Amino acid sequence: MLKPVSSTLLPLCVLLINGMSAPFVSAEEKAALASKSEGTPAKSEFSPEQLEFFETQIRPVLADNCLECHSGTKSKLGLELNHRAGWLAGSDYRKVINLEKPAESVLIKAVLHSGEKGVPAMPEKGNKLPPETVEKLTTWIGMGLPWPEHEETTKANDPLKHWAFQPVKAEAVPENAGHPIDYFVRRAQAKAGVSPAARADRYTLHRRANFALLGLPPKYDEVQRFIDDPKKHEEAWPALVDHLLGSPHFGERWARLWMDVARYADTKGYEGAGQERRFIYSYTYRDWLIRALNEDLPYDQFLLYQFAAEQIVDPATPDKRHLAALGFLSLSKNGSQDEILDDRVDTTFRGTMALTVSCAKCHDHKFDPISTKEYYSLYGIFLNSLTVDTPTIGEPKLGPEYDKYLAGLAEKQKKIDDFLAPVLERKAKEHPDLAGQRDKLITKVDREDRRKLTNLEGERDKFIADSGMEPDKAIILRDRDKPINQHVFIRGNASRRGDLAPRQFLAIASEGGKPNEFKNGSGRLEMAHQIVRPGNPLTARNIVNRVWMWHFGEGIVRTVDDFGMQGERPDNPELLDWLANWFVENDWSLKKLHRLILTSETWQQQSDNPKETENMLVDSENRLLWKFRKRRLELEQMRDGMLDVAGNLSNEMFGRSVVILEPPYSNRRSVYAYIDRQNLNPTFRNFDFSNPQETTGKRPTTTIPMQALFTLNNPFVQDQGENLARKTATEKDRVAQLHRAVFAKAPSESDRQLAESFVSVYEAETARLGKRQTNTEWSYGWGDIDETSGKVVFHPFEHWIKEAWQVGKERPLKDNPLSYLYVDANGNTHPGYTAKESVIFEWRAPADLRVSIGGAVQRSNVGKGNGVRVKVATRSAGVVFDKVLDPAKGSLDVSIPELTIASNESVYLIIDPHEKNSSFDSVRWNPVISDLDNKWPKWELAESFSGPATPSSSWGAYAQGLLNTNRFLFIE
Amino acid sequence: MNGFTSRRQFLQRTGMGMGALGLSPFLSSLQGSDRSLNPLAPGKTHFSPRAKRVIHIFANGGPSQVDSFDYKPALEKYDGKEMPGEGLKTERKTGALMKSPFNFSQHGECGLWASDLFPKVAAMADDLCVINSMYANVPNHEPSLMLMNTGAERVNLVRPSVGSWVTYGLGTENENLPGFVSLCPGGVPVVETQNWRSAFLPGAYQGAHIDTKNTQISKLIPDIRNPRMPKELQRRQLELIQEMNRQDAEGNAIDPAAEARMHSLELAYKMQIEASDAFNVEREPAHVRELYGDTLHGRQMLIARRLVERGVRFVQVWHGDGQPWDSHSEIAKGHGKLAKEADQPIAALLFDLKQRGLLEDTLVIWGGEFGRTPTVELPTPGANDANTKLGRDHNHHGFSMWMAGGGVKGGMQYGKTDEFGFKAVENPMHVHDLHATILHLLGFNHEKLTYRYAGRDFRLTDIHGHVVDDLIA
Repeated sequence: MLKPVSSTLLPLCVLLINGMSAPFVSAEEKAALASKSEGTPAKSEFSPEQLEFFETQIRPVLADNCLECHSGTKSKLGLELNHRAGWLAGSDYRKVINLEKPAESVLIKAVLHSGEKGVPAMPEKGNKLPPETVEKLTTWIGMGLPWPEHEETTKANDPLKHWAFQPVKAEAVPENAGHPIDYFVRRAQAKAGVSPAARADRYTLHRRANFALLGLPPKYDEVQRFIDDPKKHEEAWPALVDHLLGSPHFGERWARLWMDVARYADTKGYEGAGQERRFIYSYTYRDWLIRALNEDLPYDQFLLYQFAAEQIVDPATPDKRHLAALGFLSLSKNGSQDEILDDRVDTTFRGTMALTVSCAKCHDHKFDPISTKEYYSLYGIFLNSLTVDTPTIGEPKLGPEYDKYLAGLAEKQKKIDDFLAPVLERKAKEHPDLAGQRDKLITKVDREDRRKLTNLEGERDKFIADSGMEPDKAIILRDRDKPINQHVFIRGNASRRGDLAPRQFLAIASEGGKPNEFKNGSGRLEMAHQIVRPGNPLTARNIVNRVWMWHFGEGIVRTVDDFGMQGERPDNPELLDWLANWFVENDWSLKKLHRLILTSETWQQQSDNPKETENMLVDSENRLLWKFRKRRLELEQMRDGMLDVAGNLSNEMFGRSVVILEPPYSNRRSVYAYIDRQNLNPTFRNFDFSNPQETTGKRPTTTIPMQALFTLNNPFVQDQGENLARKTATEKDRVAQLHRAVFAKAPSESDRQLAESFVSVYEAETARLGKRQTNTEWSYGWGDIDETSGKVVFHPFEHWIKEAWQVGKERPLKDNPLSYLYVDANGNTHPGYTAKESVIFEWRAPADLRVSIGGAVQRSNVGKGNGVRVKVATRSAGVVFDKVLDPAKGSLDVSIPELTIASNESVYLIIDPHEKNSSFDSVRWNPVISDLDNKWPKWELAESFSGPATPSSSWGAYAQGLLNTNRFLFIE
Repeated sequence: MNGFTSRRQFLQRTGMGMGALGLSPFLSSLQGSDRSLNPLAPGKTHFSPRAKRVIHIFANGGPSQVDSFDYKPALEKYDGKEMPGEGLKTERKTGALMKSPFNFSQHGECGLWASDLFPKVAAMADDLCVINSMYANVPNHEPSLMLMNTGAERVNLVRPSVGSWVTYGLGTENENLPGFVSLCPGGVPVVETQNWRSAFLPGAYQGAHIDTKNTQISKLIPDIRNPRMPKELQRRQLELIQEMNRQDAEGNAIDPAAEARMHSLELAYKMQIEASDAFNVEREPAHVRELYGDTLHGRQMLIARRLVERGVRFVQVWHGDGQPWDSHSEIAKGHGKLAKEADQPIAALLFDLKQRGLLEDTLVIWGGEFGRTPTVELPTPGANDANTKLGRDHNHHGFSMWMAGGGVKGGMQYGKTDEFGFKAVENPMHVHDLHATILHLLGFNHEKLTYRYAGRDFRLTDIHGHVVDDLIA
């Protein structure tokens, strides 16, 4: 008896039972696909004599003279002479043999050293072939290139037989097999002899599902409700999954993942000086993605809109929001036309079909059955779609501010017009034939004027981008009115035209292996239809595999953006195909796919398996999915999670992008982050964020100390700790509240002990350290010293102005003995009028220590004034150093070889103006205190110079500590 | 993979009690074994390397070869005269040949002809391996910078930088510091951070840009300082975090990712100290600081030495933001000032590396993205002001660079330009050849140091590059 995992899965499983194994592609199609090698003369049966002739007379000649350079994928000019197909295909430039007229073959001319233009003399190295050998070659060509058939047909890596180009074959899942995913996974496990893990507990599942579907941590109450739900897991769990799939945050999480594929950025890339780099309306694409995913727009339509929305959206409808979908193409990085087109081909095919079509730009794909001609067929589609337009899809926020903006914009525009008018007038006189044709006249503008024009336009664009006042607009592409034909660029060189490349689809993904020429405009919409054609063997496999990777950390095919010969094979091909087929059968619904995956026992496994050791021996990479792969939160999950648990995450959806990693720290979700394509803040990539220059398959997963520096030291993370502390300040059981907030879980007894001991130690330590001017061992101020007792009166400076500590807000203070007192980061300082207003650096020992003091007081006003008097003192030892810096000298060494000092006791480093004369007393002193036992790093004034302490509170430090634990940062 | 099922079992077998503080020795085996978790773990070279680290001094903007290391007496003879023969295309219009405003003389035992532009560097002639026959593809800054730094000149074809490749290949010897550091005072050069980006290589290999105009460590490396906790308190916080991590890991199978993160927390804590130390030239004795000079360039060259000494793999030292060496006009003044800033610090670096025995396996490279024309630049409306005089235009046809240490021959001059120093004619060495040679010195076959991305095995030299054996000692 079939045991469905959930009630809604039932109909699907029924479908399966009814023999749902019909493949996408018919047998005829498959046959046609296999004989794709168009233009190849049908291979006749060669006689044994002919083959014998080849083996004895030809093969040795090839081996001795040709194959060193013309064999395999690195062949010169792309000419491969080590197999028959290579002879037929010729070089990257042309055919080299003529089967009808063998003597006219280019190859024969080459070995004859004919001297004909463009025909090199071959072989390049070694001797010219003797005439009789050439004769034999000619004969052999005339025979139709006899070559043992087995060498061709048994080639294990025949690209056309490669798994990814075969039709999707959905195997029927037998009745009683349980969840189909588990059926396939367990079958593979059983075969290999590994055992799956048990189902994770409800807490773990809840947290895992929240991060997976919403990118956010769960709430304590919700987790509790789920744990306490008396319903059977088979009911309670799918209900929770459905609940999460209904959240608007779902779209925010999954849009960001797709944005990796779409190499989303808010800037175009590198631009010369004066030009605006921002797209201005890039965010409308991101907002479209969020809405489309929340509404569960079927994936085929999801793609159609992204490729050709302007041809699908009814011009009459007022709702134009789907136009923004074209951002998938239009937000490509800037560059030459060729680079833009190449990027669009690459993003399209790597992104939606896991094909590296761009590899066929300069030569036929070295591994996959994709020809250069096919590359240029697709290139030609984008070539005819280069016109960018920005139709309005939203409403402006009318009001006085908007009016002000319009006035400002008009002013900027007027500047351009006023500049351009006389320039164009002049040009019209120079080119009377172009009079009245503004577009053409502009191209005639001189370099200097063009530079000015660019700057003025840049100013206008910057004004628009900065203001954020324009209504939402879509960045769309339009087809050229009259399409132009694209030729092959031989070896990628635009000046070497090859065959015409008609706009059409890839043969390997076309029905029957035979693409039809596209008829409408650029062919972009037709191309999109070919991509989502249910018989296309790659599109559905690609998306289910990516979704799988986003849920499990690795795809069923690990090279998620390369299903070609160079990519990995699927770990579980039957599962991949079953999923791909199921997905299409289920209306390309991504939400249904998520539901299917999350309700499988495979997804619900624990991240630990008692049979770990045994399983590891068989499958150390967990390709058979015998446990859930524990993963660190991605940058977005981590940042949003921190904001969310601190109760600080903004619920605001959509709109212009915001800078997230620089102060003032935004509380918006990370999906709204402003992505600067050219100069991305390095923290993004330190956390393995995708490279916004090109489509990303799988993000790397690295662990580097820069990540920990961020979570430990970045004020954003510390702020969230303090927010958490503030929110729980009035709670009786603060530890419990913090744990509930951060982990959605009550603390264990041991957690409580750690918390209590941390807070009490932290507070005691803070008290012991006393109120500190800075967060370092150093304080800066002024005062006086009793030279006999060593007792110091120390007044810390109260003002931190322009990176320096000083007495008042102003400096110097008028007619005040404290007038010039200050210290800056380089140890530049100045005492007050008399010894009573000496400048003092205080250093407090963090432990009982034996230290040495080094450094020198430097003075630039050599020969002027009366010098300064330098003293060093501690309470217990009194004055240990007292010398005058001679006004004739520039420097005084202040070295104390050894000084014993108790914990929390201070060393005072003092500069007295000397004999009440403070003229020319600007000095620089960068004292260095070293632990003679070498347990502590050195303390140095300049190196650790800092502003006022804004110390973390004990509970804030505790909460921030929780945000730094693996418990928070990992999904189990 | 290890055969230990649980932490407990592991610790029992290694004789450690469960209460043991500090990190498990498991982590030391993690380093070097699993580069996906620890991308900076030391990598394996293809053969025994001659150099273990690189300092690339980038004279961005294009320093003139005929005014520095490529002596052309013919320029004096033909000064003010039309260049005989066919002219070469450069970015802007140039006129007659122009002699160098600097004086040339011979230096060292090798008798290197060099101008008085870099007198102190020239005095190290016997350590220099001067390449006079460098050439690139186009006379424009952006593509030439990209070519020199990434091997791919198209500005929008974003490829990993040389430093990223080297760090990918070699990892780092000191995890408390970034593996690849780019020192550039005052901002960024042309094409900006793309000069040190890791592109499709993981972010761990991107260059850490450090604006050496700042002197405060907290401004040099983001998040290097905890602004709100003295170190004693921070240590307490770290102990709390690690104790919770340890307790959570107890009884479970060893999870490499979680262990790696615990390790990285400790590294980060140490980095706060170590990085401060590395960038703090005040720690150097006075005589060393004097050797380099108390200037911006002296300081950053000294930082470069402190970094490589501490195991950083690749340090790039830029002259400044923008393109300072771009002397389209008044080259005597422009180059004179720039060289004055750089000469002593560079010579000090070479001398200092040598006296510490570091030069042996540290490859020092000096040069720009291209050189300059031996002809004088003519005023171009819109491109430069009408007062332009006595400057030189960009020249990619032939220019000079030098290398020192790290397995290259000292006292060597390689290749030649034509009579006037315009075009490389003898043993021309393309930028790809330079890259191939650099990788070779570091122990890599440039054709085999690859990274699989988008269905292809990418490499720094793409399909080009030849190792120039003549330069190798």
